[in-house]
Amino acid sequence: MALPIPLTFLIDLLTLFGIFAIISMSLNLEFGYTGIPNFGKLLAVAGGAFFVGAVPGRVLAYLFNTPAGSDFIKNNLEVVSSINQVLMDDPVISICYLLLSLAGAALAGAALGYIASYPGIRLRGDYLAMTLLAMAEVLKIIGDNWEPFIGGSLGVRIPDPFRWVSGEYRSLYVALTIIGVTAAIFVYLEFVSRSPLGRTLRAVRDDELSARVYGKDVNRLRIKTLIVGCAIAAIGGALYSFLTASVSARDFNRVTHTFWPWVMVIVGGAGNNLGALVGAGIFVTLRRLITFYKSYFEAFLPFDVVWLEYMLLGLALIIVLLYRPEGLIPERPTKTLKYEYIVNKGVTRTKPKEGT
Amino acid sequence: MDASVGKTDLSLLLVRDALIFSSLMIMLSAGLTLTYMTTRVPNFAHGDFATLNIYLNLALVRLLNINPYLGTIPAFMLGGAAALVLYLAVLKPLMDRGANYVILMIATIAYDMILISLINIFADYLNRVHKLITRLFQLKGFDIEIFGQPGIFVIAPILAFVMITLLYFFLNKTKFGIAMRAAIENPSLAEVVGININMMYAVSWFISGGLAGAVGALMPLYMTCNPDIGIRLLISIFAASILGGLSNIYGAFVGGAVIGLAEVLGTGYLSVTLGPWVVPYRPVIPLIVMLLTLLIAPKGLAGVDWKKFLRKVG
Repeated sequence: MALPIPLTFLIDLLTLFGIFAIISMSLNLEFGYTGIPNFGKLLAVAGGAFFVGAVPGRVLAYLFNTPAGSDFIKNNLEVVSSINQVLMDDPVISICYLLLSLAGAALAGAALGYIASYPGIRLRGDYLAMTLLAMAEVLKIIGDNWEPFIGGSLGVRIPDPFRWVSGEYRSLYVALTIIGVTAAIFVYLEFVSRSPLGRTLRAVRDDELSARVYGKDVNRLRIKTLIVGCAIAAIGGALYSFLTASVSARDFNRVTHTFWPWVMVIVGGAGNNLGALVGAGIFVTLRRLITFYKSYFEAFLPFDVVWLEYMLLGLALIIVLLYRPEGLIPERPTKTLKYEYIVNKGVTRTKPKEGT
Repeated sequence: MDASVGKTDLSLLLVRDALIFSSLMIMLSAGLTLTYMTTRVPNFAHGDFATLNIYLNLALVRLLNINPYLGTIPAFMLGGAAALVLYLAVLKPLMDRGANYVILMIATIAYDMILISLINIFADYLNRVHKLITRLFQLKGFDIEIFGQPGIFVIAPILAFVMITLLYFFLNKTKFGIAMRAAIENPSLAEVVGININMMYAVSWFISGGLAGAVGALMPLYMTCNPDIGIRLLISIFAASILGGLSNIYGAFVGGAVIGLAEVLGTGYLSVTLGPWVVPYRPVIPLIVMLLTLLIAPKGLAGVDWKKFLRKVG
């Protein structure tokens, strides 16, 4: 049974939204809450995707005894299709494979976050931004050129954990999985932001000195934030790889996976998770609509419409920065006690003393 | 032909390459440092000021049959104009609203996205309407020959030297240049004595973009160019500027020269010893230089107390 077209459009939208929402929420944790300008978001996203491309497929190939002497990269198609044969009939192994791979990607991301935190606690903001940008670019270059890793510029196909859902419904299942993960991460980050830890992170962002005066270990918090943020972003990258069932360094670059999340966080409003979600939602919807009407423009423009999109995004970001720097959904100030309440409390508490 | 001849030929080629690339890097990192000194923001669009003019020069050379070296003049203007627009239309209004440096960095990235879009639209247009190769192309065939060597080998170092000298005389010997340095070093005091700071900053942005534009015009004579070359340049520019200290224009000259030599000679000799597979990993070199600088001497070469250093060593 074929799914109706509006539904496939919606599924497509939700899938992309989920992935970008995860990445922009992780950026929001690092920049919005803790104030670390991570201009190397690509590092963790690509790290997660590269992990999924390099490790789980090899492990499965080993477990399932694929034809002897076959190399995961050189005989990529044969190895992956023989693994897929197994995965197709076995939902349990498929789900385990998916979950374990995501966990592994998160660990890889955390490791990259730890590496990133080395300059992260030693450098001032703008130096840090330049360093992280360069680190991300170097990881991409390694992925693009080191063939035994993830197939170099050709990329690599990976076993498809969604294969056991037949035909049309695969995309629906993928979308639901991704939205599920997105929701889980959103809930987790909401808890973090409402907890004392979240308030401490904001304190580090707003006034590092006062945070230190109150005995907070600012460097430790920064390291933790980068580790968690990069782990989350790596999950986003891994999910994208499972969506396409392949990994290629060509799919990851500083525009799509560093600049776009920044656009989402700034447009949506830094410092709150809902803002990151709204930013990702608006961004993905606009992009899908442009792609939808692309053929209409393509007929009479002597260039690829994609570039027009870049220009619009750049302009939109500048306009938001100029006229609504707090974003569409501004960060709400933490609720504190009202002045009158404190004064009254003070009065009631001091009164008995006067009486005695 | 025996092996030793092959080796000296290779060394000569490498040294030539390194000299050209260093000259280009010197002009690029000097520009980035100049704008960093004025507005205190690393300009993430700097690499694409050059890329924009790679395509301007491609169009000038191929469509209007202009000598590629004459193309540096309109390229200087276009690069300068692109930088001026970034400063006047984006950064200045943001700074007036009290934006912090993170917002300014994001703004330069947003502007870079617009530049990337323009570059690609222009490249597509040249390709589809004028049937030019605009991706992975070179203009080496249009270079002139000087003393049996490609012209770029002579002209790039001369241009870099002339630019450095001009910049030195401008900043030290002219009234305008001294006013500009005053505006950079102590804006409020400069304002008190009647220097138009906004004007000074705008001029330094124009010079910065212009230098990058001139480099862009020369680039296709030396290497294979593509619309996304800006990011690779940007890493090298940042590394050179950080090595130079980001707060000293003479440091940027040295930083640019060192990064240029290290990248070309490093990749060249490593590919001879380890094999040609190392060539694509070239951007690792500026990253390592950047990290080492930040760990050992975070203020760059300009921040090192050389007298103390020599006393310690000597």
